[in-house]
Amino acid sequence: MMTEGKLLAEMQDLRDRITGITGTAVASRDGLIISEDTGGVNADNLAALTSAALSLAQRLAREAGQGTLREAITRSSGGYVAIYAIGTTAVLVLLGDEGLDITRLHRESRSVVDTIEKLLA
Amino acid sequence: MESEEGSVGPLREALMVCAAAGMSGTLRVTGDPGGAIHLTDGRVAAIETPGAPGPEVLLLRSHRVTEAGWDDAFAAAATSGGRMRAELVRRAMVGSGELEGLLRTALADAMFVLASGTVEEYRAEPGPVECALPLEPGAEPDGLLAEASRRIRVLAALPGRNDRGRLRVVAMPVPPGVRLGEGQDEILALADGRRSPRDLAFALGRGVYATMLLLVRMQQAGLLVPVSARAFAAAARTPGRTGSGGEPQDVGGLPQRQRDLPAPSRRLRAPGRLPERLMPLGLLRPRTGRDVSPGETS
Repeated sequence: MMTEGKLLAEMQDLRDRITGITGTAVASRDGLIISEDTGGVNADNLAALTSAALSLAQRLAREAGQGTLREAITRSSGGYVAIYAIGTTAVLVLLGDEGLDITRLHRESRSVVDTIEKLLA
Repeated sequence: MESEEGSVGPLREALMVCAAAGMSGTLRVTGDPGGAIHLTDGRVAAIETPGAPGPEVLLLRSHRVTEAGWDDAFAAAATSGGRMRAELVRRAMVGSGELEGLLRTALADAMFVLASGTVEEYRAEPGPVECALPLEPGAEPDGLLAEASRRIRVLAALPGRNDRGRLRVVAMPVPPGVRLGEGQDEILALADGRRSPRDLAFALGRGVYATMLLLVRMQQAGLLVPVSARAFAAAARTPGRTGSGGEPQDVGGLPQRQRDLPAPSRRLRAPGRLPERLMPLGLLRPRTGRDVSPGETS
């Protein structure tokens, strides 16, 4: 399978595996979409905003002296947006509903990020 | 016990120990979907699980309570140290009896979901119970488990697939002259081949069990067809399906009638915006202007 196919398969698998994930996207750090499975959410806008939000969250973590950013989570009345750095060149964004299994997400996010980073290498 | 449906056996075992001890606290259930069963004096006050919508989702997504109203009540309850339930009733946002019914319905649904899933382990954590809308007094574990068993049996007796909880469905055109039943139009708008019954229940603010029964009826009426989520996603990204007027290519595995379906969602996707092709890595798509769809003039 080609890399983009594997990447999309990994993203879809993530949606199947973690209850409550409604969409996923991988974007470059300059805000361009690499692969998306967002289910109707505008992926281009999402990529651009995600890139900016990740940079801001990383600066915030540094400023607060709290070490390396693990994830940036936005919780709204209708669900979650979780953002993860993929190395230094890309970003993973996950969309979830109100029932998103946060515990499982925390448990699996590191290995998901590693897998995607290897696919993009 | 061995003959009990799904995971009713291990849940009964754990809950009976808690009930016998009159425990107040949380029984954490690890598994798929797993969750937390909050108990007061051995009775079930609330259940939190990623697998079923809780009272907040049921109230907000069904528009029985507005978001602003919920936030105000939540803030007032937090600052006064009062109860969310009393606050919602005091503000006449929901009747006391209606709320009681909704809390009982949510508990039954959550227990059904836990019992339908897998239980890897459980752990009792006695202590104070922290949840916004507990049922007071709580529900008897026995009654909830009996109802969960009954629901599992009802679904098992229906014709069709046995992995119904994971089944994704796609809307079919409504035949002329067919009148849609209550809630069916909303299901059709959301049935895009991506959402499981649980996802639909969350999106609509309905119970998972009620949603599953409705999906079965709609499949029997030919309004929905099951689809492998993976096959549908692949089909949506097949080159040639991204523009209008093009002949759809082979979408392997999908029922024949489904090939002419346009974008998966009828309502939630912006008009005219179809699933876009996956771009090869390194060949990034230039960013379009905000809210401007490809093909649209800005």
